[in-house]
Amino acid sequence: MGVLQTRVLELAEQQSAPDWLSGLREQGAERFAATPWPTRRTEHWKYTPLAGLAKKVLTPSETSSVDFQSVASVQSPAYRLVFVNGVFAESLSDSLPAEITLLASANAEQSALIQQHLGRLADSREHLFAALSESTLEQGALIYVQAGQQLDKPIYLLNYSTGDAAQLSSTRHLVVLGEGAEAEIIEQFNTDSDQQNNLVASYTEIVMAANAKCKHYRLNLEGEGITHVGGVFVELGRDAQFNGFAFAKGAELIRNDYVLTHRGSGAHVDLNGVYLPRGKQVVDYHTNIQHCVPHCTSSEVFRGIIGDRAKAVFNGRIHIHQDAQKTLAELSNKNLLTSNKAEVDTKPELEIYADDVRCAHGATVAQLDDESLYYLQTRGIDKDQAQIMISFGFINELIQGIENSAVVDFLLPIIAQQFGRSESLLQMEA
Amino acid sequence: MLTIDKLCARVEEKEILKGLNLTVKPGEVHAIMGPNGAGKSTLGSVLAGREAFEVTGGSVTFNQQNLLELDVEARAHLGLFLAFQYPVEIPGVSNMEFLKASVDAVRKAQDKSELSSVEFMKMAREASKQVKLDQAFLKRGVNEGFSGGEKKRNEILQMMLLEPSLCILDETDSGLDIDALQTVADGVNAMRDTERSFIVVTHYQRLLDYIVPDYVHVLADGKIVKSGDKSLAKELEAKGYGWLEGEVA
Amino acid sequence: MSEQVEHLIRKDYAAGFHTAIDTETLPPGLNEDVVRFISAKKKEPEWLLEWRLQAFRAWQEMEEPDWAHLNYTAPDYQAISYFSTPKSMEDRPQSLDEVDPKLLETYEKLGIPLHEQEMLAGVAMDVVFDSVSVVTTFREKLAEAGVLFCSISEAVEKYPELVKKYLGSVVPQKDNYFAALNSAVFSDGSFVYIPKGVRCPMELSTYFRINEQNTGQFERTLIIAEEGSHVSYLEGCTAPMRDENQLHAAVVELVANDNAEIKYSTVQNWYPGDEEGKGGIYNFVTKRGVCHTSAKISWTQVETGSAVTWKYPSCVLRGDNSVGEFYSVALTNNYQQADTGTKMIHIGKNTRSTIISKGISAGKSQNVYRGLVRMNPGADGARNYTQCDSLLIGDRCGAHTFPYIESKNPSAVIEHEATTSKVSDDQMFLCQQRGLDPEKAVSMIVNGFCREVFKELPMEFAVEAGKLLEVSLEGSVG
Repeated sequence: MGVLQTRVLELAEQQSAPDWLSGLREQGAERFAATPWPTRRTEHWKYTPLAGLAKKVLTPSETSSVDFQSVASVQSPAYRLVFVNGVFAESLSDSLPAEITLLASANAEQSALIQQHLGRLADSREHLFAALSESTLEQGALIYVQAGQQLDKPIYLLNYSTGDAAQLSSTRHLVVLGEGAEAEIIEQFNTDSDQQNNLVASYTEIVMAANAKCKHYRLNLEGEGITHVGGVFVELGRDAQFNGFAFAKGAELIRNDYVLTHRGSGAHVDLNGVYLPRGKQVVDYHTNIQHCVPHCTSSEVFRGIIGDRAKAVFNGRIHIHQDAQKTLAELSNKNLLTSNKAEVDTKPELEIYADDVRCAHGATVAQLDDESLYYLQTRGIDKDQAQIMISFGFINELIQGIENSAVVDFLLPIIAQQFGRSESLLQMEA
Repeated sequence: MLTIDKLCARVEEKEILKGLNLTVKPGEVHAIMGPNGAGKSTLGSVLAGREAFEVTGGSVTFNQQNLLELDVEARAHLGLFLAFQYPVEIPGVSNMEFLKASVDAVRKAQDKSELSSVEFMKMAREASKQVKLDQAFLKRGVNEGFSGGEKKRNEILQMMLLEPSLCILDETDSGLDIDALQTVADGVNAMRDTERSFIVVTHYQRLLDYIVPDYVHVLADGKIVKSGDKSLAKELEAKGYGWLEGEVA
Repeated sequence: MSEQVEHLIRKDYAAGFHTAIDTETLPPGLNEDVVRFISAKKKEPEWLLEWRLQAFRAWQEMEEPDWAHLNYTAPDYQAISYFSTPKSMEDRPQSLDEVDPKLLETYEKLGIPLHEQEMLAGVAMDVVFDSVSVVTTFREKLAEAGVLFCSISEAVEKYPELVKKYLGSVVPQKDNYFAALNSAVFSDGSFVYIPKGVRCPMELSTYFRINEQNTGQFERTLIIAEEGSHVSYLEGCTAPMRDENQLHAAVVELVANDNAEIKYSTVQNWYPGDEEGKGGIYNFVTKRGVCHTSAKISWTQVETGSAVTWKYPSCVLRGDNSVGEFYSVALTNNYQQADTGTKMIHIGKNTRSTIISKGISAGKSQNVYRGLVRMNPGADGARNYTQCDSLLIGDRCGAHTFPYIESKNPSAVIEHEATTSKVSDDQMFLCQQRGLDPEKAVSMIVNGFCREVFKELPMEFAVEAGKLLEVSLEGSVG
């Protein structure tokens, strides 16, 4: 067992969560210890080396005093929950409505809900780091919106890594939406500097009853030192609608798993994502859309621009089960490589066991189009700027497709910065 | 303003221009006609500085500068504008963003003041009215999903905003119906003045009914083989290009 | 042949015959002595025995791959016999007249009478019956052009330098589990050598047969096209009906030197097992070609047979401006499982590859396209276009697409598209309304679906392939 695994299990021992969570924690610890560490031969880690992570030395997480004002955030009214190094920071958070509870302070009814659902979607037998998350279960929120209800503001889960030492920042959120309930959730991950090197493990499970609606954003804005492992696991009931958006700048390693399961007919998933790794950053998205029942639809578009020596991995699976007739599923993944040393590995997968379905996927890898560059240059725009404009155009459609305009406004300068430009270039968009 | 002297150029080993001479003075409109494959479009691309076109001989002086040693965008900054035969679609980059960036870059290079967003929007709206392009097109991706005619109007719109000193229209009439042709020509004519020059490249005489040239040149086998006034265009219309074959040889 | 018999053939597996010929067969089991026996039996030189033994030792250390989307019981490698030869073949027949009449009869039932084949279309046949070459024709004509076309055993004897130079140069002994096994025990196969600048005057063709019970087939094919040469090679296979599963682990190596072109076409219709999924061939094949500067390798395959198929004909595009192509139709019915596709490894500049894959799943079968497109850092200006289409017939089958796309070069362009659809009710209705029965309608629609690939096949094969799909689809509708 590697340094990291041993340390995580020690940390798991030291957790102080309520007793009723101990069963889950023990289960997680057992599975985390029993799962072989992934190698290049492990299909779902084929392109994402974890040898470095195995040797990572972690210290226990601690809350330090934080200058949180400097952290850029979405300018929108919201219920804000701040987690610093994985620990809930009450002083930085808003007072919570009845729908939101910290896991550790759940009442009997809430704890029953947690025990019913937590770990059910994010299967710790299949996902190594979901096992890690389970074994260190303590911090996180339960968001429970009852049938027919909706929250008046988005829920904003801010995860902040700070300090000199590498800590384990482990958070776990469970969202349960009753029939016809609606929620909008923004998850954002930040760090204080590029040197900060926490291991951030953050898993979110979203259980949606019939007709429920969920808008979800997961914004990975961490610095270059961070290793982030996490995922969003969603179950959709009849006619439920999930609208997700993923954004990652890039870090030492960002690996997000999206697993979306259609359990009720008529459900719909829209999942889009943008990744822009530079430097030596690595971004890895594994998405898996499970069509288990008939008459469901899914649409997924991920686009990435990979520069310098960065690497992007995309694995997009669509799985149509035997009885999921009349499914419509589409997936597109497009990549731009902007440097000789950049790399992309993409694998769109279809696994289909029903015949009356329409499924398609497409993937492309290319560089900026010379023709377009020339056109812009003949209009007097210098080559650098032309490249940035076309790059931005490449992802713009997805950015503009974000429903919450505050999120768009928030992301534009971050994107401009990632392209190495001031935001003025993109101001015309606003 | 523009002096082309014995210009030779090739694409992928193939010689296209073989010693082309042309002088354009301020305010003049030159039409360049010729059979397909004569090198008409190559001329525009070489002047604009397209990478795939390799200049193998001759010189081009534009506004007292050696044009051939300049980057594509630097030529645009000097006031050279090429209206494309096939304008490129750039998905995701909004037309407005593109136009603003372009106008900013050219004005900056020419030491003109930067336009405020408000001033620019006003100009853009007026120009789009003039070329009869719905303002909705300003918000769409550059040429994305535009019809042939819309793309050409968009080219003229850009020309109006950039206020170049030399406009090269590369077969701008191809694929246009009469109405669009009229609109495009109106746009061009509105911009004619004593300082601004035009090179109108076309296969057909039709466009020259709308944009009346001062000079007409026939380009064949990489050279100007005949020059004259606008009556030459009529003659070509009547006789075709065949009768010039002798001149080529 | 009576009409009744013909009807029976069409109804069941058309190649379902077992020829009773005495063979000299090794008892089941695999160890170093077996490898030595095979080598000695074939009077091989010492270096080849050593080469085989290296492979065998490597194989013993390897594990059978389990990453494919296949569900089967791994063969018991000790229960297989690794050598058999028809007894009457001890002395090679010098002409067709000397060939065992029973053998000829079998081929006749299969519809490929040698006498006709000789005359038809100028095709030279190197017929492999079990493990030993039986007869080779058109030798002289090929010899005139300087083309060498013979069994690999003969090549070892006559052209040892060529064999030594190229054997294992494309598919090394330790490449994978099945290639290692093949390298250790390969029985026979074809050898083709096209000298510099020669355009092979005819299509070269080999029919393989698996005949003896419990006899694994380990064919080894080596095709070398020297600078500026051109060859088209056809491979077709049938096998008699049998209850036990049979193992087949072939290796095909292609070398296309500068400016050479190799076109390799396969129609594979080995016994797929019965409607209950009983029996059928296990087919684990390693096919790979290397393209040097401006060379081209084109793989075309029509796969309708075998219970289990594991096969990825690949191109290593080493030289600048080289071209790789893969055109495939894979049809699975009943309980068949196929995991097949290609690898295009772009190393040289301006290399191009095209992948067109058509998968058709019917019955309770599983059909997988698995492909790899890799752009190495030096593959400036390389291009790949991939199109994978799946057609499902019935709601108990599966169609899967697993394309691996890896790029380390920004100037390389990769485009991949995949779609899945079914034979639509509207299409069926139209065909039936015009008087076609459902089976004919499906077969027509399927043939249309595969047209892009069929047009890549040599003419005779294209017709055969169309018929083959029809036969293979029997019972899939209604």
